Amino acid sequence: MAAPSLLLYSDRSLFTRRVKDSRSVEQRDPGWKLFGKVPPREGTHKDPKKIQTEYETKAGRAGPGNPTSPRQSVRKNLDFEPLSTTALILEDRPANLPAKPAEEAQKHRQQYEEMVAQAKKRELKDAQKRKKQLEDRCKLEESIGTAAQTWNQEILPNWSTMCTSRRVRDLWWQGIPPSVRGKVWSLAVGNELNITHELYNICLARAKEKWNTTAAPATEAETEDVDSSDRESSLELIKLDISRTFPQLCIFQKGGPYHDVLHSILGAYTCYRPDVGYVQGMSFIAAVLILNLDTADAFIAFANLLNKPCQMAFFRVDHSLMLTYFAAFEVFFEENLPKLFAHFKKNNLTPDIYLIDWIFTLYSKSLPLDLACRVWDVFCRDSEEFLFRTALGLLRLYQDVLTCMDFIHMAQFLTRLPDLIPAEQLFQHIAAIHMTSRNRKWSQVLQALQKDQERGSPVLKR
Amino acid sequence: MEAIWLYQFRLIVIGDSTVGKSCLIRRFTEGRFAQVSDPTVGVDFFSRLVEIEPGKRIKLQIWDTAGQERFRSITRAYYRNSVGGLLLFDITNRRSFQNVHDWLEEARSHVQPHSIVFLLVGHKCDLEAQRQVSRQEAEKLAGAYGMRYVETSARDAINVEHAFTELTRDIFALVRSGDITIQEGWEGVKSGFVPNVVHSSEEVTKSDRRCLC
Repeated sequence: MAAPSLLLYSDRSLFTRRVKDSRSVEQRDPGWKLFGKVPPREGTHKDPKKIQTEYETKAGRAGPGNPTSPRQSVRKNLDFEPLSTTALILEDRPANLPAKPAEEAQKHRQQYEEMVAQAKKRELKDAQKRKKQLEDRCKLEESIGTAAQTWNQEILPNWSTMCTSRRVRDLWWQGIPPSVRGKVWSLAVGNELNITHELYNICLARAKEKWNTTAAPATEAETEDVDSSDRESSLELIKLDISRTFPQLCIFQKGGPYHDVLHSILGAYTCYRPDVGYVQGMSFIAAVLILNLDTADAFIAFANLLNKPCQMAFFRVDHSLMLTYFAAFEVFFEENLPKLFAHFKKNNLTPDIYLIDWIFTLYSKSLPLDLACRVWDVFCRDSEEFLFRTALGLLRLYQDVLTCMDFIHMAQFLTRLPDLIPAEQLFQHIAAIHMTSRNRKWSQVLQALQKDQERGSPVLKR
Repeated sequence: MEAIWLYQFRLIVIGDSTVGKSCLIRRFTEGRFAQVSDPTVGVDFFSRLVEIEPGKRIKLQIWDTAGQERFRSITRAYYRNSVGGLLLFDITNRRSFQNVHDWLEEARSHVQPHSIVFLLVGHKCDLEAQRQVSRQEAEKLAGAYGMRYVETSARDAINVEHAFTELTRDIFALVRSGDITIQEGWEGVKSGFVPNVVHSSEEVTKSDRRCLC
C-alpha cells in the first residue's frame, strides 16, 4: 500500500508547485483582456485551490483540530484533491455580469459536491485496484516459492510414486517453478536412449574434429561423398543460425555466454545422429533446454525429445507421416471448433501453414518464452498430443478474431502471434479442448489414419 | 475496409538459406531492415499493395519459404499456387548462385500444370567488396532461363521496390494478354474488388497497353 500513497503525494506536490508557478507568472503579467475593453480585475485569476479551501472553511469541512490549515487536513483525511478547475464552479460571476441567483449557487454547490464525491470514489477504486495488483503479484511470487518448495521437498524425492498423482498433475498444469523446471523436464522426458555424459563428450569431440577439418578447404576425395557437402553446409548453417536464435536475449550470439554451449550441443547432435543432422528450428529447442539445464543434461534431453515419434517425423521431414499428423489434427479441430474449421476450409487455410513452425520449434519461436516454457512443462509429460492440443487452444482463444479474417490475414496472424498472450486464458482454452473424437483418443485416431493414409489431409500432396 | 485492388498475385520467394529472403521481403513490406531475423521454419506470409499504374493496384501475397534443403519437400507444395517467384542468391556466396539451377528445376517440376514467372535476384549488392558472382555471369544465366536479373540490397534499400514492381508488371502483362488466366481452384491470380467502371476501361486499354509493360 506504500507505493500508491507515495505516488499520490508526489502528484500533489507537483501540482502545488505548478499552481505556485502560474501564480507568479500572473503577478508579473498585467493581465489579458478578452475583448480589449474589459480591464483586468482583481479576483479574475483567483486560484481554484483558494476557492475550494474557502468553500470548505465556510462549509465547516476543515479538520476539527486544524481550522487554520484546511489544505493540510484535506490531505490527511480525504487522500484526494479535486482537479484544479473543479472548484471554479463555486465562484461568483465577474462583476460586469448579472450575479448568480441563490438557487443557482446552491445548485453549483451541490454539483461540486457530487463531482468531488465521484472523483473520490474513482480515486478509491483505483487505489483498491493497485492494491489488488500488488497483492496478486505478491501472491504469485509466494505461490511460486511454495510450489518450488513442494517440488523440491515432496515431489522430486518421491518422483516415481508421486508423478502421476492428481495433486502433482494439478500443480504441473499451473506451471513448474523455473528453479526446478529443468529437473522435472529431464525426469519427464526420460533417457530412453541411455545417453551418458561420456557419450556427449565423445560426440562433441568428434564434432570439434569435423569443424577443424572443414575449416580447411575441402579436398576432392571429400566431395565424392554425397552427404559430405550437405553435412558441411549444415555445419555452416549451425554457425549462422546460432546468432539468429533468440537474438533479443543477447546470450547465444557470438561472444555471449551461451554461444559455445549452443554450438556444442547442435554440433554434437549432428555427430550423434548424422542421419538427422541439423535442421532449422533445432537451435530454438536446444536454446530453451540450455536455459534450464546444464550442458550435458541439456544434450540428453535434446536427443531424447527429438527421438519422439512426432519430432522424428518432422525433423526428418517424413512427408506422409507429417500429413498423417495434420489429418489427425484436423479431426480434433473439426470436433472442437466446427465453425472455425469451416472458415479455414473455405479459405483454403491448411494446417501445415501454421503447424509446421509451431511443431518444429515446439512453440519457442512463436510464443513468448515464459509461455512456451509452460507449454513445454505439459508437453514433456503428455508428449506430442499436447502440442496439437495447444494449437487448438490457440485457435480457440483467437476464434473470434480469426473468423473475421481472410486467408492472408489469418496466415499472418497465426505465423506471428500477438506479443502479449494471456497465459491463464490460453491454458483455460487448452483445458477446454477435448482430445477424444468418437470415443477415440489422439493416439488411436493417429494410428487409424496411419493405417489408411489415403484418407490423409490433401495438404502438401503433390 | 480492404483497399481496392485489381488483382491479387501470389508470389513465392525461394533460394538458399541465409541469402536474405526474409530481409528483402521485410524491406519491401515494412520498409525497414532487420539486423537479425529468425530463420524461417516452414513458410511466412507478407502482403503489400503495389500501384503499377495510377489507380491500378495489385495486391501481392508473398510467401517466404525456408531455405534449408531439408525443407524443400515442404515448400515444393507451395509452387503450384504461385504465379510469380523471386529466386534469390547471395552475390557474396558462390554456392548460392550455383544452386540457382537446382531451384529452378525444383520449381519447374512441381508447378505443373501451371507456370511461374521468375525473377533472378542477386542479393546483398551493398557488399561489393565481397562479391563472388559477377553481374555479367548472373545476367547470362538469367537470360538462358528467360528471366530478368536484378541486384538488390535490403540493407541499403537498393532496387527492392524495383524488383517487386518489375515482376508484378511482367505478370500483369501476361494476365492482360491472356497468357495467364484466373482459374477456379488456383490461387496464383485472383480478381480483386473492382468497381464496374474500372473493368470496362480495362477492356478499352487492353490492346494498346500490352507491349508497354
